[in-house]
Amino acid sequence: MLILSFLWVALGLLIGALANAAKLRPAAWGRGGWLGMLGLGALIALSGGWLGTWVLGALFATATALWIAVLGVALLPRLITWCARLLRA
Amino acid sequence: MDGHQPSLAQGNNPDAQAARPRRTWKVGQRAAQAALAFLLLAGGFLSLFPLGRALTRSALLLPALLSASAPAPLVVSGDSVRFKRLTLSSTIGPVFLDIYEPATPPPPIPSGREAIIDVPGAGDNRAVPQLVNLSQSLARSGVVVVNVGTPRLFNYQVSAQDGEAVVRAFEFIEHWPDVNPQRIGVLAFSVGDLLACVGAADPRIRDQVAFLAFLGGYVDVTSLLDTVARRSQDVNGQTQPWQPIPTDLYVLSRTVSSLFTPADQKLLQKAFPLTVNLAPPLRTQQQAQLSPEATAYYHLLEGDEPGSVDRNFAALSPPLKALLTQLSPLSVLGQIRAPIHLLHDRNDPSIPYTQALEFVAALARLHHRYDLATYSIFSHVQVESNLDLEQVLSDGTRLFEVLTSILLVGT
Repeated sequence: MLILSFLWVALGLLIGALANAAKLRPAAWGRGGWLGMLGLGALIALSGGWLGTWVLGALFATATALWIAVLGVALLPRLITWCARLLRA
Repeated sequence: MDGHQPSLAQGNNPDAQAARPRRTWKVGQRAAQAALAFLLLAGGFLSLFPLGRALTRSALLLPALLSASAPAPLVVSGDSVRFKRLTLSSTIGPVFLDIYEPATPPPPIPSGREAIIDVPGAGDNRAVPQLVNLSQSLARSGVVVVNVGTPRLFNYQVSAQDGEAVVRAFEFIEHWPDVNPQRIGVLAFSVGDLLACVGAADPRIRDQVAFLAFLGGYVDVTSLLDTVARRSQDVNGQTQPWQPIPTDLYVLSRTVSSLFTPADQKLLQKAFPLTVNLAPPLRTQQQAQLSPEATAYYHLLEGDEPGSVDRNFAALSPPLKALLTQLSPLSVLGQIRAPIHLLHDRNDPSIPYTQALEFVAALARLHHRYDLATYSIFSHVQVESNLDLEQVLSDGTRLFEVLTSILLVGT
């Protein structure tokens, strides 16, 4: 499972990088936001992988990590920004 | 001048120079968005949909089958395997089971594991590396595999009565922890298909068997014997030479030996031993000692009277003819409910390819659900080594399709 966890983190970093390239990072995150996006991708992919292992089995965990990470980097930054704005208001 | 036309002046225009990297950046952004969309859809399909999960499993299993070893991706992402050897008692005597199962508890989705009852061919094949690799690889991918054997099968004798072993194994494994009783299929190799067919036709389990898959199986022992006797097979109207291997003749002589006298049995055993190369024919003096029926059967197996095949068949006694009918899966096909996947090598040296064609014709007549996949990568039931890329791509694709339909049952 350790090797798989590393694989999911690596996939998450790749997805985070793609999300940066796809300009999914909110402008409010500033100049260092790209790093946050990589970290977010890695974290969500790792969580997705473990969730996939638990629900569907280790065989399908990598595929689960993929779609959850993509969904995460696409939606979570907006959600975080929206929550932050809501809290400030 | 519109924007699509090249302009010399544009090279000096600072606005145009700035627009170029912007456009490149835009293309990169679109490509990254497309890549993310693809990963989202691919990941979702391969994990959330049953077909996608079956494809994932097949993709991980196929290299294991083609290379006859466990590839790293399957080892890393698959389950660890637990092995158990059990013996069940039954009306036909002991039934030997080798169980390979995932060592971890099953995930909530899908509920319960798929199980495959595996009937290897004649002989004790439990330690054959390719069978062990197949069983372990399937277990790594989440399937519970049960290899079934009987004393007769281990002793190179085929008997329709041994179909009881499949029924017994089925009834046993449907109560096995974590196995979903609706997801149990039977995979048989070579002559093991008789046991699988008789078992799957049994009213006790026939409505529950999810699928049958036969690799290098036969359907009619009389037509098989005819091919052996003529040393040739007719494929699509063309006669091709075909030579049986010594194991075929050994099994065919041992299986019916109880109907012959001890003296006949001894001579037939001498004529068709379990050796690598075909034994020399019996001397004329020895042949003269055989009973008329044993003489006819001897010539059918020896293939030395291809012009007298019909006459030799006619000389067989009614009990022997009845036994040959009983030994044919054809006799029970009409009672089977499960869909049948046939896999056969075009150059099978043990069970001629024409048996697969006859199987298909019989299933078509019965309007039974089936599919046939033909290969050139197997040597009877074992994957050949040193496959070239073309074989891997063409036959690998067909094997992938069959694997997917078999694994779809459990996903």
